[in-house]
Amino acid sequence: MTMQRMALFRLQRKYAPYLFVTPFIVLFLLFGVYPLIKSLVLATYITSGPKSHLFVGLENFRFLLSDPDFHKAVRNTTVFAFFSVFLQLPLSLGLALLLNRELVKGRDFFRFSFFSPHLVGQVFVAVLFSVIFIPQFGLLNRVLHAVTGLALDTKWLTNPSLVMPALILTSLWMYVGFNMIYFLAALQAVDRELYDAAQVDGASAFQQFLHVTIPGIRPVAVFVMVLSTIGSFQLFELPYVMLGNSSGPEGAGLTVVMYLYNNGFVSGDLGYASAIGWSLALGVLLISLVQMRFTGTWKREE
Amino acid sequence: MHLKSIIDSFPFGKAPFILLVVTLFAGGWLLFHPIPENVATLRFWTFAKTHYNAYQQIAPVFEAKYPGTKLDIQLVHGDAVTTRLRSAFWADLDVPDLVEVEISSAGSFFRGPIDDVGFVDLTSWLKESGYYDRIVQTRFAPYSNRGHIFGMPHDVHPVMLAYRRDIFEAEGVDVSKIETWDDFIREGRRLTRLNERYMIELSDSGASNLEMFLFQRDGGYFDADGNLIMDDETAVKTVTWYIPLVAGPNRIGSDLGSGRVFTQAIEQGYFLSFICPDWRSKIAEVDVPRMAGKMALMPLPAVEPGARRTSTWGGTMLGITKRCENKDLAWELAKHMYLDPEELAQRFRDTNILPPLRDAWDHEAFKEPRPYWSNQPIGTLYAELADQVPSQYTSPFIATAKDKMSEVISACAAYYRAHGDKDFETYVRTRLKQAAEEVRTYMRRDFN
Repeated sequence: MTMQRMALFRLQRKYAPYLFVTPFIVLFLLFGVYPLIKSLVLATYITSGPKSHLFVGLENFRFLLSDPDFHKAVRNTTVFAFFSVFLQLPLSLGLALLLNRELVKGRDFFRFSFFSPHLVGQVFVAVLFSVIFIPQFGLLNRVLHAVTGLALDTKWLTNPSLVMPALILTSLWMYVGFNMIYFLAALQAVDRELYDAAQVDGASAFQQFLHVTIPGIRPVAVFVMVLSTIGSFQLFELPYVMLGNSSGPEGAGLTVVMYLYNNGFVSGDLGYASAIGWSLALGVLLISLVQMRFTGTWKREE
Repeated sequence: MHLKSIIDSFPFGKAPFILLVVTLFAGGWLLFHPIPENVATLRFWTFAKTHYNAYQQIAPVFEAKYPGTKLDIQLVHGDAVTTRLRSAFWADLDVPDLVEVEISSAGSFFRGPIDDVGFVDLTSWLKESGYYDRIVQTRFAPYSNRGHIFGMPHDVHPVMLAYRRDIFEAEGVDVSKIETWDDFIREGRRLTRLNERYMIELSDSGASNLEMFLFQRDGGYFDADGNLIMDDETAVKTVTWYIPLVAGPNRIGSDLGSGRVFTQAIEQGYFLSFICPDWRSKIAEVDVPRMAGKMALMPLPAVEPGARRTSTWGGTMLGITKRCENKDLAWELAKHMYLDPEELAQRFRDTNILPPLRDAWDHEAFKEPRPYWSNQPIGTLYAELADQVPSQYTSPFIATAKDKMSEVISACAAYYRAHGDKDFETYVRTRLKQAAEEVRTYMRRDFN
């Protein structure tokens, strides 16, 4: 190899990595960092129409504190996140445990079946469940009427007290199988020898689950929990489509992101929408930190 | 062999090399295949498929009339029209030359200083051309702001009542004797069987039906000056009257939703009637074809004898954007689309939508009997009600007001189910005041 080629190779080795990361850095700065900074600036303005802005400092954040619709959105989103996470995770783990057993016939088929709702996307699922929840002629009411005698005209999506259960049920159908995949992967990574040792020590199946499985899958469980919480707080498409571009009866389906969208893109107050966005981001960050603190994530890493 | 040596000599391995090649190839392809330059003289967005189909037929005629003109008519989803257009106005980006905007979002484009509104003020053009006086006046209200008309009305949308003629006749209902809502409710209580059959499709959770009754009583969300009136006495009386129709043991109305469920509900006689603006009569023809000949239309019952027999539901405006470079040509296109009697007649046949231009209603198309509607000349029926159509004033805060009114309806229905008439009017008044106050809080934040 000539000296010239060697020099070229050395130059490549030195600068090529920067060349490779440059497109990402440029795009990230342009479409990630700049909008973030811009939205933070916007959050200190009230916008009215396409060109008028009035600097109001922290007024948008102060208004948030007294805004009943924002409170409602936070309440709804928190309820959704709580039930989603605490129903989804046990169900996903249960399914994963079941489908991890060699005794179950057709495991691959079931794994794919449970995972498949996630492949079609939220909008499709929302449309599908809008039809399922239809009063009088919908599948769910027909089945429940036949089995439990529930009134055929039960209005899942127009009765304020049924909207949230309907949304949670829909999200369970979509995400239980998805989270199951994480748990399956985690279960398969648990060292078999630990189970053998536990059996030799006389541990029951439940004790093995408690003392071997749970510690073994804890990092993944924390990851799934944090991810599900963040996803739940970003809820938008499901209620938006299922409730016909509205917040539902008495605002029962209003979520924080929907409220952000309504303010920014329906009412045209981008400043207030930005303030909502930042509040949401900070709230989710705080909740995630609390979750990680209580699940001992950092302690373990130390 | 040469390629293999290149790959082998690439210092970061095979996969990055392939990624790099793919990236270069894709980038190069994009570079040499730029987006075709827009050669259209006028670009036009519409959100309604029926409008789009009709305008496609108009385009060649207009292009022939104005040689050198090229129209680019695009069908854009309703929500996308609003968000894309608003974003384009904000960012001062490319916007269409003409655009149709749905009535419920029109008001939001009038926010801010009047000079910042992205649409051309059509007031002088409409008045100088004489069209202002030939168009149903009330239809300018939703598209006007602070004395400026920013949109040309596409329609009148008078409301009638569509009913299952076969069942009404079998049950001995004589629609000619139904003059007021009291008459209608009396018949409704006789025919309704809870959870099996309802006299009318009415919502107990949304405001879309209620607002028609508000308009019929000259109420609404906002007055002509943009003041919020959703908690005035008319609103209190209307909500107090409306809720017992959809809640409680004597209800005569229910709501299932739109689409296929509506089709089933009409076919199976679950709903015996429904509020039917002109546009919805076409939807019924298309979605519930098996009811052809079994349906008929009647004027909306009046609040009291001799009072208004209609209301209004929905609407569309045509706006010319300020960025349009050929404004005069855009105005010519607007006139061709919205004010040419021949075009309007054909469009009525296609859509059942009554145009706001009075001259057009004399055309034969509006007098033709329609077999679906038991051979009624529905054009004439709707046209006869057009001048009674109430004004519908709007505001940039209309969406918020509608949301709040929907919340009131839902809450009042729940209260009525639980407590009946006891203190009901007081409750309605309190809820309306509370809702209106919340809207006013948002309005006070606006600094223009």
